[in-house]
Amino acid sequence: MARRYDSRTTIFSPEGRLYQVEYAMEAISHAGTCLGILAEDGILLAAECRSTNKLLDSAIPSEKIYRLNDNMVCSVAGITSDANVLTSELRLIAQRYQFSYGEVIPCEQLVSHLCDIKQAYTQYGGKRPFGVSLLYMGWDNKYGYQLYQSDPSGNYGGWKATCIGNNFGAAISMLKQELADKENVKLTLADAKDLAIKVLSMTLDTTKLTPEKVEMATLQRVDNKTVYSVLEKPDVEKLIEKYTKVQAEAEAAKKEKQAKQPTK
Amino acid sequence: MSILAYNGGCVVAMRGKDCVAIATDHRFGIQAQTISTDFKKVFHIGPRMFLGLTGLQTDILTVRDRLMFRKNLYETRENREMCPKPFSAMMSSFLYEHRFGPYFIEPVVAGLDPKTMEPFICNMDLIGCPNAPDDFVVAGTCAEQLYGMCETLWKPDLEPDQLFEVIAQSIVNAFDRDAMSGWGATVYIIEKDKITERTLKTRMD
Repeated sequence: MARRYDSRTTIFSPEGRLYQVEYAMEAISHAGTCLGILAEDGILLAAECRSTNKLLDSAIPSEKIYRLNDNMVCSVAGITSDANVLTSELRLIAQRYQFSYGEVIPCEQLVSHLCDIKQAYTQYGGKRPFGVSLLYMGWDNKYGYQLYQSDPSGNYGGWKATCIGNNFGAAISMLKQELADKENVKLTLADAKDLAIKVLSMTLDTTKLTPEKVEMATLQRVDNKTVYSVLEKPDVEKLIEKYTKVQAEAEAAKKEKQAKQPTK
Repeated sequence: MSILAYNGGCVVAMRGKDCVAIATDHRFGIQAQTISTDFKKVFHIGPRMFLGLTGLQTDILTVRDRLMFRKNLYETRENREMCPKPFSAMMSSFLYEHRFGPYFIEPVVAGLDPKTMEPFICNMDLIGCPNAPDDFVVAGTCAEQLYGMCETLWKPDLEPDQLFEVIAQSIVNAFDRDAMSGWGATVYIIEKDKITERTLKTRMD
């Protein structure tokens, strides 16, 4: 009997908080960063890879980004074993819908269905919440490209750009800053890639970004088909090189300006 | 009369040299009464894989959907295309799961292995006993006639255009001797680099 031990894991504290849920969120804010950016002509997910051991088998194409069905891909931040359970549940939900209705599941429906499950784990006794936040990118024929985020409490929302995991607050405010003045400018997928590298390299704890540390995947519609691709290491390297070059130029310009100032 | 022959119809698949062919008739009937003449019993389920199902029409559609469910899950989980061989094994176990309340279908799988491009054909009975020979497989209400035609016309190492001729003649002449099948036919030739679909004009009586 589970209730004999601890059926109070998901009961309100006297201050009206759900500690287990808060702890789960806390666990995630130490996990590898994931960010997603919605562009005009596609959508992108980028994730920080923490385990960059050379002995690791590289046969697995992506460690933190998972395909869910024809139209959706997600990335996870948090406890990987919990995430595996959730992604296989997501895949099942998507296929069950496709079996029943003969068409691909709408993005929001998949997200909200999973969030119902996540929510249940914050309410029923003897269970602990899933220590996982997810970013979903997808396309459906009603709302086009979509980016969603869900957390252990079962909350979810749609975003233009967002971030989960380590240092997510800093990353979100950076994204906000970068995208705020571009309200009227259309963001292309290429711009989004550059932006993702920029935000990641500013927010990650490491001094220099390496291709091994970043995983990036894009989703686009080409000829009425959803095309999902994981960026190859050399492509990521190119993006990083481009960023460091731009950064160095900006730095040089700044120094030049400073050097000029005293003469004024 | 067997429930397997309630709606009529037939499918045949053949191996050629580096290619496979699969053919279906177009009839959908209720016993002797023909309801429509555009029901193809062969489904394109992978880049180089086709599934043909004969038998009770409602079960044909259900089994197709349930197999696609399993195949899609396999492909997202494993992150690769499903080969004809594991697909057939999956279908066999799926059908045997319904050992004592089976789907009234007889399936045929035809395709090329995505890696080796090895031709593969396979058929099963309704509870999933697999049979994967290196010549041809048949299913449907005119299976006997098909066996006769295939045994007469088929020979090893047929080129794609020869294979088309053999399979087309086999199915047309087989179902002309069967009132439950026919009313047009479609042949698919699967090669390494292309898939050809040809519709055959046949007797419509």
